[in-house]
Amino acid sequence: MMTKAAVFGALISDTFQEARARWLFWGLFGLSTLLILLFLFVLKIDLVAGAVSLMGFEATTRHIDIHRFVMASYSWVSVFLYIWGTFLAIFASSGLIPSVLEPGRISLLLAKPLTRPMLLMGQYVGNVLVVASNHIYLICSIWIVIGLKTNIWEPRFLLAIASSLFIFAVLLCLVVLVGVISESSALSVMVAVAFMLISTILAQRQIVVRLLSSEWSRELWQGLYWIVPKVYDLAAAMRQIIVYDREADWVTPVWTSAVFGAVVLSTAVYIFRKRDF
Amino acid sequence: MPTEFAIETDALRKVYRSRFRGREIPAVSNLSLRVPQGIKYGLLGPNGAGKTTFVKMLLAAVHPTSGTAKLFGKDARDPEARRPIGYLPENHRFPTYFSGAGMLDFYAALSGVPAHERRRRVPEMLKLVGLEQWGDVRIKKYSKGMLQRLGLAQALMHRPRLLILDEPTDGVDPVGRRDIREILNGLTGTGVTVFINSHLLGEVESFCEYVAILHKGKLALEGKVSSLIAGRGYTVEATQVPNAAVAEMRRLGAAIAMTTDGLSVQVGSLEEANHLIDVIRAGGGLIESVSNSASSLEDVFIRTTRGEKAA
Repeated sequence: MMTKAAVFGALISDTFQEARARWLFWGLFGLSTLLILLFLFVLKIDLVAGAVSLMGFEATTRHIDIHRFVMASYSWVSVFLYIWGTFLAIFASSGLIPSVLEPGRISLLLAKPLTRPMLLMGQYVGNVLVVASNHIYLICSIWIVIGLKTNIWEPRFLLAIASSLFIFAVLLCLVVLVGVISESSALSVMVAVAFMLISTILAQRQIVVRLLSSEWSRELWQGLYWIVPKVYDLAAAMRQIIVYDREADWVTPVWTSAVFGAVVLSTAVYIFRKRDF
Repeated sequence: MPTEFAIETDALRKVYRSRFRGREIPAVSNLSLRVPQGIKYGLLGPNGAGKTTFVKMLLAAVHPTSGTAKLFGKDARDPEARRPIGYLPENHRFPTYFSGAGMLDFYAALSGVPAHERRRRVPEMLKLVGLEQWGDVRIKKYSKGMLQRLGLAQALMHRPRLLILDEPTDGVDPVGRRDIREILNGLTGTGVTVFINSHLLGEVESFCEYVAILHKGKLALEGKVSSLIAGRGYTVEATQVPNAAVAEMRRLGAAIAMTTDGLSVQVGSLEEANHLIDVIRAGGGLIESVSNSASSLEDVFIRTTRGEKAA
């Protein structure tokens, strides 16, 4: 049992090493750092006057509600992380599975006393943890900076870590599946991003279903909506909770997306087990 | 279950299918091979003979179409069967973000070596392969020969009982080859079984005790190197030889080549030839001819892979 845990740990550690060796991951952390620095040094908030300035220039001509400003900042950062952070994380992770499947590398890994599912899951979990470290770094730093500057500490903002990481973990299942089948990082990114876009379109089902003329096309649309991960719906729910502190249905998007991810990842593991290398 | 064989395959077969037409391409055909523990065994064959596919089936990287493969008596598909195996693949691609020491540590961790032992073994192995000054250097700076030596250290890190080396000196200069040979010679008497897959005849001839030649996915010849390359030996040709007699001849270490009508067996001495004839006749086989032979492994290899009888 200990040996299995140690082997799994070694696989995760390897993913971190590989991530560190890739410029894309440094880019991801660099962007996060820039954003943190923006809040730390550039944005100045005058609590008494209720004014906000950027690099000493007055950004507002009238007094503003600092609480509303903080909520707007939370909204902007969480949406930025959810969309762009997820996109960049997918882009950065896309090469990790194909690189492991390179002929001279995979044959040596498979010769070790570990199962194929363990090997693939080690890479998957390692990837998620690498991205988690970036998300935690970004959100926690901004939360602390804003908290220190405004004395407003809303723990709801930390939900942005969980939601962004969750949707990344679901889309990473697709990256793994496409990587295992095609060994192409470019195709992995294309498919994952396509699903992000399709999910956004499918989420407009209330409008679209009314416009569709035939029953079967309406059912097809509804069916696809339930199958595809709910990238848009989860983002909308997250915004409602974080910014407005309102009740929102986050359970449905989470469980349907989780089922999608589990099915896709299981398929990837199945194909990986069956393949010759 | 205790076994005397490090590798044991029974009618192992691999057929690839072309992606679109589904055409069958046989890579390995009904290969039954037994490699006793503690010996140095060479697997020879021209390019495309199925050597690498065979090795990959042993390591469960390729799934056999039919047949079985066992490592120390355990089904090769069981990950535990691979625990005592050290492997150096052909055209390996070690991750370049590792340092030499980091790479050894990682692969040893995957083999289940505890952290405290890895800390001790890494410098030992780097010293063994002459890379003690290079442990902290990223391996993308290593030459081909250095990578090969590091790969060998990787295969030895967890004290394997069976070392499978796929073209271990491919692309290595003569000095590097000698270094690798010396490291492998250092394993003599340690009980480690060395299985080398190579197309370099001289290397196999000088290092291995047993050899098998694969040709078009089939076992074309198998036996003791000393029998094959005897300056003066004997070739016995026979037909209608039962399987039990073939197994007995293999046990005696005779070099057996399958021919179109029967088999051709080579031994190193007159006494062995006579014993062989007894075995064949006792099993109901017919002796076709007995002749003197003198050959090198290269002669045997060329004759075998050209489809001629090994003499």
